[in-house]
Amino acid sequence: MDGSLLFQSLVLGILLGGLYALLAAGLTLYFGIMRVVMIAHSAFLILAAYLAWWFHRETGIDPLLSLFVTVPLFFAVGVLMQRLLVARLRPVTLTMMSVLLTFAIALTIEGLLGFVFSGTQRRIQLGYSGESIEVFGAHVAVVKLITFGLAAASLAALYVIMKYTKFGQSLRATIQHKEAAQLVGIKTDRVAGYGFGLGLATAAIGGTALSLDATIYPSLHWHWIGPLMAIIVVGGLGSIPGAAIAAMVLGIGQSLLQIPMGTTWAQTIFYVALFATLMLRPQGFFGGRLAQRF
Amino acid sequence: MLNASDRLSVSKAFVAKVVVFAACAAALLTFPSWAANPYILSAGVVVLSYAVLSTSWNFVGGFTGYISLGHAAFFGLGAYGTALLITKLDLSSFVAWFLAGVGVALFAIPVGWAALRVRGASFVIVSIALVLIMLLVFQSWSDFTGGSNGLVVPRPFPDMLRPEHHETFFYLFAALLAVTLLCWWLIDRSRFGMGLKAIREDEDKAEALGIPTYSYKLVVYVVSAFFTALGGGMYALWFGDLDPVFQFSILIGSYMVLMALLGGVRQLYGPLLGALIVGTALEYFKLEFGDTQFHLVATGLLLGIVVLFMPDGIIPAGMKLVDRFTPERSSIREMTAAELLERDQSESSERAGRHASTPSDPEPSTTEKAKR
Amino acid sequence: MKTTSIMRIGALLGAASLALTACGGSDSGSGDDDGPITIGVSLPLTGDFAEPGKGVQRGYEAWAADVNDAGGLLGRKVELKILDDQSNADRVVADYESLIAQDEVDLVFGPFSTRLVVPSARVADEYGMLFVEPAGAAPEVFEQGFGNLFYAAPAVANDHYNYLAEWIEALPADQRPKTAAYAAMDDPFAMGTAYGLKEKMEAAGIETVVDEKYPPNTTDFSSIAAKIEASNADMIVGGTQYQDAVNLIVALQQLDYQPKLAAFSTAPTNPEFPEAIGDKTEGILSPTGYTEQADVPTNKEFVESYTERNGNPPGEDEANAYTTGQVVAAAVEAVGCAEQGECQQKLIDWLHENEVDTVVGPLSWDADGRPQGAHMIQQWVGGEIKIVLPEDVKEADIIYPKPAW
Repeated sequence: MDGSLLFQSLVLGILLGGLYALLAAGLTLYFGIMRVVMIAHSAFLILAAYLAWWFHRETGIDPLLSLFVTVPLFFAVGVLMQRLLVARLRPVTLTMMSVLLTFAIALTIEGLLGFVFSGTQRRIQLGYSGESIEVFGAHVAVVKLITFGLAAASLAALYVIMKYTKFGQSLRATIQHKEAAQLVGIKTDRVAGYGFGLGLATAAIGGTALSLDATIYPSLHWHWIGPLMAIIVVGGLGSIPGAAIAAMVLGIGQSLLQIPMGTTWAQTIFYVALFATLMLRPQGFFGGRLAQRF
Repeated sequence: MLNASDRLSVSKAFVAKVVVFAACAAALLTFPSWAANPYILSAGVVVLSYAVLSTSWNFVGGFTGYISLGHAAFFGLGAYGTALLITKLDLSSFVAWFLAGVGVALFAIPVGWAALRVRGASFVIVSIALVLIMLLVFQSWSDFTGGSNGLVVPRPFPDMLRPEHHETFFYLFAALLAVTLLCWWLIDRSRFGMGLKAIREDEDKAEALGIPTYSYKLVVYVVSAFFTALGGGMYALWFGDLDPVFQFSILIGSYMVLMALLGGVRQLYGPLLGALIVGTALEYFKLEFGDTQFHLVATGLLLGIVVLFMPDGIIPAGMKLVDRFTPERSSIREMTAAELLERDQSESSERAGRHASTPSDPEPSTTEKAKR
Repeated sequence: MKTTSIMRIGALLGAASLALTACGGSDSGSGDDDGPITIGVSLPLTGDFAEPGKGVQRGYEAWAADVNDAGGLLGRKVELKILDDQSNADRVVADYESLIAQDEVDLVFGPFSTRLVVPSARVADEYGMLFVEPAGAAPEVFEQGFGNLFYAAPAVANDHYNYLAEWIEALPADQRPKTAAYAAMDDPFAMGTAYGLKEKMEAAGIETVVDEKYPPNTTDFSSIAAKIEASNADMIVGGTQYQDAVNLIVALQQLDYQPKLAAFSTAPTNPEFPEAIGDKTEGILSPTGYTEQADVPTNKEFVESYTERNGNPPGEDEANAYTTGQVVAAAVEAVGCAEQGECQQKLIDWLHENEVDTVVGPLSWDADGRPQGAHMIQQWVGGEIKIVLPEDVKEADIIYPKPAW
């Protein structure tokens, strides 16, 4: 096999893994806080990408600037969604019903996107779409680099928030033991709402980043949710570092497997990993004891 | 459930039941003769196929409470299995159809074995993943499956004109529906069914009572897959063209769930009723708003409303409304005590699970509680 | 307690069936000879094939407008009823079913894309309707044994690159490309074009170094592009529709891959193509069955009236749709009827025996509906797409090797 192709694929895999990591971190956050599997996460991702595309089409300004609107907007939507919808579900069937509820939200978003923007594939045309930087013989597209940079920066920000702020501490406390957190005076409901908002904000960033270099259409979110869910199971439900590591490993694995297997078969790595995890280690490979800590 | 004093009303209820049942069956069976045109008849076939699918789904969803969003995988496998057996092995249409059903049931054994080890979130994730895998495989393996070009299923009755073809399949679907309903009813009344329902109410307690929960779940999962595959195979024979994107669509799986939940998963006729409402509405939406994505929005909103406001379906919701005006009956669905207990348990076993879990542990209860 | 639930089911069953029948009560007056001739069409106006689907719609509408301006068909106005199938095979079947059985249209025109043609042609076949289609060019379409199907374009997909293949074979040995990369959408039409050329290139001794097939919903082309770049093939052939070609070209540009020859089906003829790939079109090749300059009867009038209505000249999709209309119209005028029933078989028989003059030239068909002609090759030259092959109709000289993009 050609060495430069291998290296090129490795670079592509790392860039892709970064975006997966950010999105999986958001999914993990919801699960940690509320035991909610948020199927609609990738639908919000595509929604953010559409908003960026629409913003660019209408104003001609760089789509990255749409982040200033979408991030606060998605945060607010996340808080409202937790308080108004998810909190209403019966605790005893919460996990199952939350899957259905967020599934319903995903369908609604997909339908509305199709309704407003039609099912036609869209792509942002930027002056620097075709530009690339050469790194040790591998070509790294500028747009992919921006995507990766955004994802990495957001992950770092998430880490800092979780680790060093008071809000982060309450959030972690809520994740670890809700009742105990309530006992020490943490308003867990409010914290859970903000945590949900934070998770959805990652979708806004991810979606905007995605829109720079991808063709989008309303039903695209199904192609994201499968890999993402596999990632959070492999990483151990609830563990953000686990999700990030699994995202990187699987992202690189997918990219490398594309060389011998082709694009479509390479995607099966996520599902093989998912089934292998469930057979061998149902609590996930990187979660386990870490699962409830950050 | 019935007191001695209810006996008189039972016999009355029984007569009423028989009359209504006969009327419904008659209305159903004569539908082809009063359908306005072949298109309406074809819509009727679609609705009936939905009824078969959601009733099949309800073997798992209704009895055990495990919600599978991935039954479209069995639907698609049944359809493709039928088509491939006919085209590759030259089997006659209905032999191929039945063998495909059996084959999918066999396939469901290892899948169920993996998926049912985990409860809650992971089970749903696995079920969705199953559809996505099948979509990938059937798109990519184009030498065998025809890939995105699709696969043409030879007509079982090549000489029939289209309206006649629809009518025949209307009755075939009706027969399949009757068998599926009968099977559900039999399980519902058996000891096996009691065990399954115990799993739905509280899996750990059921296990403590000596019910072999894991094998019970697996058996009913396989039965469900079998009937779903038969529904898919019948659809393939009727429709004639298979496309992976459509056969393995998440949407089909979600329709099954929506229909069953809407009608009520605990009721024999719940999924059928749900299929009639949702199926008819879908066909109507597509006809009226064909060039928009409106049916997706409607499906999404309806599912959301059902989940939030009537998770037990409209039949129980309707009965509750009736109950409000009739004083006697105490609800069997009072959950508050169980809820509290359940929550406490899951909290404590979560901590236990983190320490005590070993991968080879055959007892799923502690480790998997943590996965909720 | 069970009674109430069963009663409710009964009531709802009744309601549901009423709702079903209510949909069925619509127009049945189309058998009447003075009313307009209704023509049913289902097109992918959204979804994977939305761009070409809309082109076909514009072509059909242009044809209907021209016919009505000239007094209609058999003295009756024509009326199009166009449904959107969302590029979805189950919708397309339901659409034609409802058009034929419920709306009782007099004639049907075909949809866009091979994947949708086969299922819809079967519906038409089983209702005994004539089925002329503008876009089902793959070999599979003609192997289904449909007696009612006619493809209204000059050539089937595998023959689209024939002129290009001949030209490459005629190049001096030292200038000829040595290696070729192929990337095709898993779609019968797209694959047909690329693999038709591949077969001829391999026969001419040009080595295939990359052969990638991707499903229609692929959006990430970076790994396919990486393989092509690593192979450094002399020529790249894309069996593409629209968006996939754009994505592939952008991904190739990102990797700075510079082939000597680049050919893609369908996309380069689309008016939005240059903007979508950032005006780096120079030298890109594409086969086409139509040119607005073609000197055949009725084409001039078509281009004029179309340009007047739409502000820009028609493309290939529009022309093929228009051709479909012309073919059906010729049969209707000759046979003298346009309604469901026996008339349809007469129309089918007439088309099997006759040649029709259309904007893409005279067309005739074999028993399975294959047209008997060839496609021209176009190239982007100086910011415009021009015919470069065959020699006798060319508008510009072919540029080879292709300049960097």
